[in-house]
Amino acid sequence: MNKFTRRDFLGLSFKAGAATMVTGMVAPSVGSLMGLGGVAEASTKKISPFTFAILTDSHLYDIANHKFDSQLAKGVADVNNMNPRPDFVLYAGDIGQSGKEAELAKGKRILDKLKVPYKVIPGEHDYYLDMGKAWRGMFGDDHWSMDHKGVHIIGMNSILVPDFWTLKGLTPEERMSYMMELECHQCGAWGVHEEQLAWLAADVKNISPDTPVIIMTHSPLWDYYPRWNFQTFDAPQIRDILRKFDKVMSIHGHVHQVVYNQIGNIVSSGLMSTSWPWPYPPVQLPYPDIKMNRVDPGDFEDGMGAHAVMLKENFDGVMQYRSFSADALPDNVKRGVKL
Amino acid sequence: MKSTHLIGKISVTVLGAGAAMALLLGSNDVYAKKPPSASDAEDQRNMLMAAVKKGDDLWHSGALGTNGLGCANCHPDAAATNPHTWPKYQTNLGKVGTLRDMINWCIAVPLQGKPLALDSTEMVAMEAYATYMHRGIAIAPGKDEQNGGVPVHSGPGYPTGNDGNR
Repeated sequence: MNKFTRRDFLGLSFKAGAATMVTGMVAPSVGSLMGLGGVAEASTKKISPFTFAILTDSHLYDIANHKFDSQLAKGVADVNNMNPRPDFVLYAGDIGQSGKEAELAKGKRILDKLKVPYKVIPGEHDYYLDMGKAWRGMFGDDHWSMDHKGVHIIGMNSILVPDFWTLKGLTPEERMSYMMELECHQCGAWGVHEEQLAWLAADVKNISPDTPVIIMTHSPLWDYYPRWNFQTFDAPQIRDILRKFDKVMSIHGHVHQVVYNQIGNIVSSGLMSTSWPWPYPPVQLPYPDIKMNRVDPGDFEDGMGAHAVMLKENFDGVMQYRSFSADALPDNVKRGVKL
Repeated sequence: MKSTHLIGKISVTVLGAGAAMALLLGSNDVYAKKPPSASDAEDQRNMLMAAVKKGDDLWHSGALGTNGLGCANCHPDAAATNPHTWPKYQTNLGKVGTLRDMINWCIAVPLQGKPLALDSTEMVAMEAYATYMHRGIAIAPGKDEQNGGVPVHSGPGYPTGNDGNR
């Protein structure tokens, strides 16, 4: 049995940000949109089965004893009580609400109570007060990859927007207040941008196509509801870079809800928050049966929770949504969503 | 008893006048009152949009509560407010209530703030915003709906000359 310490874990991420390789922008192809082969035909390398946990979107405020503090703590406690114990925890962004160092520090204090190592990516709420400075000081690189028991795991910063603030003469606080709105119509579409695309291309260049891959971003890697940035504008390029792999699991925060999609070789799974649930946008879901029940606004824990992903030897996976409230999920989702 | 009777009598009289007016209308282009001029209509529309904008600002403000939260935390674009389904029985209200009652419940409970007067300009503005974001949707009192908002493609979701986010 491998001993897996926090130091080892952090050491795995040193590839982050090292690449400066220049690649051209890859145009989205029909194949990446329509899918080639399909997920079901995957025949990945065998892995050592393991479980990992996911938490996301705690949106902590710099207010003492705020209810969101205890809701994140509840998620942490749930992860610590998981049986079997997860190998690690992934956190998919938005630790804080308005990017204040105090919010991020509070989040780190609560997350540090996890009994297993954790890896984080930023969300827009963590980032736009100081352009990620405080976040990077606490959590390191905003994009990284690591290998664990035969799986290649990638985290990327998908909340980058072109500069909309300089011309308007906005202060950092004003910039943050714009970005904090889900409906911000001045902020532009989020993406990972060219530098990270080049990094990703270099990161997976020498990895064989039968390697199981997991990618975590804050926003979905498909066009769900662009109005609320339930999208990543350069996701087609990401999907192109990852298309050589037999099977990729994409997990994302930001949507504060159960949602599922398949695009080509990628299965995509949205996550519940620990702060508040978001309504489903006024569009048709690609998989309408995989969703949460209507939430009760009088139950402050309804529609929220933690997650466990269980991976088998053949890289079949199950996403277990561990809702805080007993009746938040329909039975088919309660049983676990196949990844 | 006597006053009830009196009220009943008055309404009968009013109804009678309405019926007489209805007879006057029909084939002739006779109006009880002239429609507003184009510029008056524009002024009235602008007043409504100003109320919608004020409602949008309040909706996205943390000032209504005490814990930093605003309506928009859970209801972006006024989603899942379903103005077309009110009045209805709402479990948390424990009665048949209106959208304004529910807005006040949200201010008092999740936002931990002080409820507004139901007829305040602030409350009317928030109702105007939420309703405008559901324009064109059929009225369906009591309908059990999770989210029936109008899809928004750009801008704040309503006409405005303001380029700012707020």
